[in-house]
Amino acid sequence: MKSKEFNPFEMAQAQFDKVATFLNLDDATRQLLRNPLREYQFSIPVRMDDGRVQVFRGFRVQHNDARGPSKGGIRFHPQETIDTVRALAMWMTWKCAVVNIPLGGGKGGVVCDPHNLSMREQEQICRGWVRQMAKNVGPLNDVPAPDVMTNAQHMLWMLDEYEAIHGAKYPGFITGKPVGMGGSLGRTEATGYGVIFTLREALKELGIRIEDTTASVQGFGNVAQYAIQLYTQMGGKVISVASWDQDDQTSYCFRKKEGINMSQLLAITNKFGGIDKNKAKELGYEVLKGDEWIEQDVTILIPAALENQIREDNVNKISKSVKVIVEGANGPTTPEADKVIEERGIFLIPDFLANAGGVTCSYFEQVQSNMNYYWEKDEVLGKLDVKMTSAFLSVYELAKKQKLYMRDAAYVISVSRVAQACKDRGWV
Amino acid sequence: MWLGDGSFGGKASGLGFIKKILHENEMLIKSPQVQISIPKMVVLRSSIFDNFMQRNNLYDIAFSDASDINIINSFQQAELPVEILGDLWSLISSVTIPLAVRSSSILEDALYEPFAGVYATKMVSNVQPSAEVRFQKLIEAIKFVYASLYFHESKDYFNSTKNKIEEEKMAIIIQEVVGEKYNKRFYPNISGVVKSYNYYAFGKLKPEDGIVNLALGLGKTIVDGGIVWSYSPAHPKSAMPFANPEDMLKNTQLKFWSVNMSPFINYDPTKETEFLIECDLKDADYDGTLNHIASTYDVNSGRIVIGTSTEGPRIINFAPLLTFNEYNFNELMKTVLKICEDAADCPVEIEFAINFYKDKIYFGFLQLREMSIPTEVVEIDEKELNDENVLLACDKALGNGVVDDIKDVVYVVPKNFDKSKTKQIAIEIEQINRELVREKIPYLLIGFGRWGSSDPWLGIPVQWAQISGAKVIVESTLFEMNVDLSQGSHFFHNMTSFNVKYFSVNFEGKYKIDWEWLYRQNVVQKTENVVHVRLNQSLKIKVDGRKGIGVIKKW
Repeated sequence: MKSKEFNPFEMAQAQFDKVATFLNLDDATRQLLRNPLREYQFSIPVRMDDGRVQVFRGFRVQHNDARGPSKGGIRFHPQETIDTVRALAMWMTWKCAVVNIPLGGGKGGVVCDPHNLSMREQEQICRGWVRQMAKNVGPLNDVPAPDVMTNAQHMLWMLDEYEAIHGAKYPGFITGKPVGMGGSLGRTEATGYGVIFTLREALKELGIRIEDTTASVQGFGNVAQYAIQLYTQMGGKVISVASWDQDDQTSYCFRKKEGINMSQLLAITNKFGGIDKNKAKELGYEVLKGDEWIEQDVTILIPAALENQIREDNVNKISKSVKVIVEGANGPTTPEADKVIEERGIFLIPDFLANAGGVTCSYFEQVQSNMNYYWEKDEVLGKLDVKMTSAFLSVYELAKKQKLYMRDAAYVISVSRVAQACKDRGWV
Repeated sequence: MWLGDGSFGGKASGLGFIKKILHENEMLIKSPQVQISIPKMVVLRSSIFDNFMQRNNLYDIAFSDASDINIINSFQQAELPVEILGDLWSLISSVTIPLAVRSSSILEDALYEPFAGVYATKMVSNVQPSAEVRFQKLIEAIKFVYASLYFHESKDYFNSTKNKIEEEKMAIIIQEVVGEKYNKRFYPNISGVVKSYNYYAFGKLKPEDGIVNLALGLGKTIVDGGIVWSYSPAHPKSAMPFANPEDMLKNTQLKFWSVNMSPFINYDPTKETEFLIECDLKDADYDGTLNHIASTYDVNSGRIVIGTSTEGPRIINFAPLLTFNEYNFNELMKTVLKICEDAADCPVEIEFAINFYKDKIYFGFLQLREMSIPTEVVEIDEKELNDENVLLACDKALGNGVVDDIKDVVYVVPKNFDKSKTKQIAIEIEQINRELVREKIPYLLIGFGRWGSSDPWLGIPVQWAQISGAKVIVESTLFEMNVDLSQGSHFFHNMTSFNVKYFSVNFEGKYKIDWEWLYRQNVVQKTENVVHVRLNQSLKIKVDGRKGIGVIKKW
């Protein structure tokens, strides 16, 4: 699903440069914001279950914390690179700024494949990561969260290690914890729901009834599943989903033109979002090649898996029927593909706006943890909707007023906010 | 504004109709002295209810025999559909006046299907500085109102109608409460109901003259069947039939409901009145809200003086408005009624709230319902009333028509009747009623004092659902319970819509109840104060609605 030449950090910088020029940013601010403030690269030695010691590569990048403590996930992925982490940290900065929460951008990761690791081994990686970073993260300076192939259990191991090192309780150190252990209700749903809140607003602006739309979704992990759930509840119809097959090391697109059945698919899905293709066939799904998700004759495309999925080489495969693309994943569209999408007049809701629900709810969790006072789910999701809707409207209004592509408008808002914070602090 | 899809429910549809009427009659009602509108509101349409029930798997507990409190708790733990939460947040963030969360069910308010007072209305004070708390209170109130559809009272009610509770859905209206804040109280100067047709017309009044019921404070007083002031728009100055000023002092409104604006409230999301307080007239006097609605009893002269300019006990008789015609009040009532009647093309019933400002009156529409009028012609001659086969007769009957399928009689035992036990009697009747409703057996109910009285010393304080299976209701005075009878005013809408007949018997009057005959009938069940008998053959019951005459014959 990813080409070898693709460098997400270069892409993130290219996107930033475009906005910096538009905003006429001075050189110092430009230099400050196009690179991370701090980067940590380290080794995590782990004694494996078979007695060997394996060394894993770990990262943490704090892109910019002018607006508040850094915030960002920790990914476990075999193809993790420092450039991926840099790009994601930068996007986190813009993401926090676009939804106007008082946080900066950070990201972390470990080069590993949890599919091939026992739970004990994963625990050791988590604890090892924290041992390396304990002095440089915390509720007041950098708050990690789960990301690709990490979950609440991983966060709890990390929290436990952090608290053991610092000798006190710091539930606000990390977010994405299990509910009942300092986690926020609604966190699981937050990113996927946030994607659909912005989609709902976009459709309103475009004068399209959600009941009259169909969608094709790439990915069937946490984000995609909750996005599909809410979109369907609101009356939309998802006709295809693409998911990664661990055994075949490729992805497949599962299509049912009368609309997929979420609970049916969930029953044949593993915990990483992989759908069993044989069982899917038995249930009447067409099993297509993974990249065919982009070619479907639908109103809405929701890339909700990985970066670099809508590229120059496949952007023209997007059907003429597509009116909206909502980026559930981070960086799924390359700048080259962006140009084509803009020219074709497809309404795009950019990643760091569309999928900001996760970090917004993480922020809510952080607030709750720091207060040690926990809210009801209705309250969390209600606040999330308001934050996301208001963020979308700010971006949309600016795009309309200045005739900007939505991604550019979102960048303009975010970069200006962060640049202003840097200026106000006297950094530049 | 509305959220979701599906039905708006009866109440919200009625308000939508009023909006249209107000728009079309703008010129007629335009006046520098009067402002008429519908208080700002948001409707959660019935799809929200469906989603709430389905996504939280609430139907099992809802249809079960679980206690009301268990049902409320299950509903409170459930989550509202995520699609509306953001909108509710936005709403609560920008509004800080009290809100009424009202049911607007799809069967409620339909003609002949009155659900008035069956489902809950919950007020939230919305006074807390934190939007988080206000939001929490609002959603608790919504869940409470949803839960009220499945309370025992509601289930019993459904059993007595041809409807199935499974078919019911509920929309919800979130509406700004009309009124003003006075210290820790928020309430309107007046709540009222105006009806085109008066089923209880007596004296020189004609049914077509209509009737207006007015009360100080929130409309809960009227909905609960509390003491209100009634008058006909055709004769606004005619006082209610009180024997003397002392009688009037005692039997006019002494308490009123307001929203409790205190930040210190006993937390109880399972209680309908969590944010309400019942206040005394002296509170209203302190607030200065009696100026246009009260008179004062002058102890020295023994006279009632209109207004509140002198010291003395206040009497809520609305005399400044009705006698002095302040704000051209009666014209306002008549105009509103006429416009709505013309638009609906049938008699109507309107609920409203009024607030006075310095030189202006604000009239807020809360509900509009169409009324049904009896059409069957029944003749009863004098001989029938005095025949030996008469169980009872009266010249203050309400309703219209003939009933000949009742074999069951439930009566409060007159011997040893104890006023201090009326609450207990209500519970005993409820048990018998539930059984008869379950078996779908109609019955005749006989009791003493005012049925549905909010004051247990003046009658048996039943809610409608507790006697919902009764097809004919008799209230009688007794030597120990010689109060002015209610003549059904507490259950007015329910009775007329279900075509329930109502008899009012004075124990000193010319028509007596044949108790001895009743005592001889087969007893089905007997509780401490109530007896249920079953007759060998059906009673013959006739009511002439035009003359207000009724008779119940033993065979």
